[in-house]
Amino acid sequence: MTSAIDDDWGPLSSLPGNPLMWVLILSEMLVFSAFFMLFAWHRALDPASFDASQQQLDPLFGGLNTLVLLTSGLFAALAVKAISEQHVRRCRQWLGLTLALGLVFCVLKVVEYASKISAGITPESSTFFNYYYLLTGFHLAHVIFGLGLLSLASWRATRENVETCTAFWHMVDLIWVLLYPLLYLLR
Amino acid sequence: MLDKLPGTQRLLIAWFTLMGLTLLSMWSAQLGATSPAPSLPLWAIALVLLAAGYKVQQILLVYLNLRVSSSGWRGSFLALLWFTLTVVALAYVIPL
Repeated sequence: MTSAIDDDWGPLSSLPGNPLMWVLILSEMLVFSAFFMLFAWHRALDPASFDASQQQLDPLFGGLNTLVLLTSGLFAALAVKAISEQHVRRCRQWLGLTLALGLVFCVLKVVEYASKISAGITPESSTFFNYYYLLTGFHLAHVIFGLGLLSLASWRATRENVETCTAFWHMVDLIWVLLYPLLYLLR
Repeated sequence: MLDKLPGTQRLLIAWFTLMGLTLLSMWSAQLGATSPAPSLPLWAIALVLLAAGYKVQQILLVYLNLRVSSSGWRGSFLALLWFTLTVVALAYVIPL
């Protein structure tokens, strides 16, 4: 597994960890950036409707999710540090905590979706909620995939595996940090 | 390259910064205010976006350890981030 890092990847060689994960991170950032700019453009065309829809969200709920995800990011980084020091058991403990907080994020998101749907708010309710379900749903799919990757890294806890899978987790973290103010705070 | 991982202290400082900026963003957006303004003032929009940008920068440089890569990669990722936030900011402050 270390061959991916040791091979000559040209300009990608200077990136830390697995270069292919960085290609994925960059492509995900480009996709989400395009979505964010599109969202801002549509909001600028009809700010009153967007702001009215946004008031139906609970920004404290979103804030709590942000704090949970950022803390899971710290645990993921500590897992990389532990495996780099050959502490496999400690690495698994940090990954376990990361997974636990990832699950908390998913539970909070499902509770939020359930409350919105029970209030009759669906993707068809408004353009804002169309974006809300699209962006948060797409992000949630990444969180669930990330949880799978972290489980695999915990099972096969080599340095490259842990570094690669936690890099994906940090990318998920990073996207949410931009998503939260855009959907919940800015008006 | 592989051994230049951030230390525990750096990771904890980054985490405190990220948590603090999240709380600052929530305060800027007037969460919990008895009568929040229908639209945020310019300074609050700027503060929320700057906090988000700095947080993503910290995740890239510390958690993802991009600080050990070449300046070209660092610059590219940060340019993409700040370009996106600039476009979003313009859409919020310039009426169409």
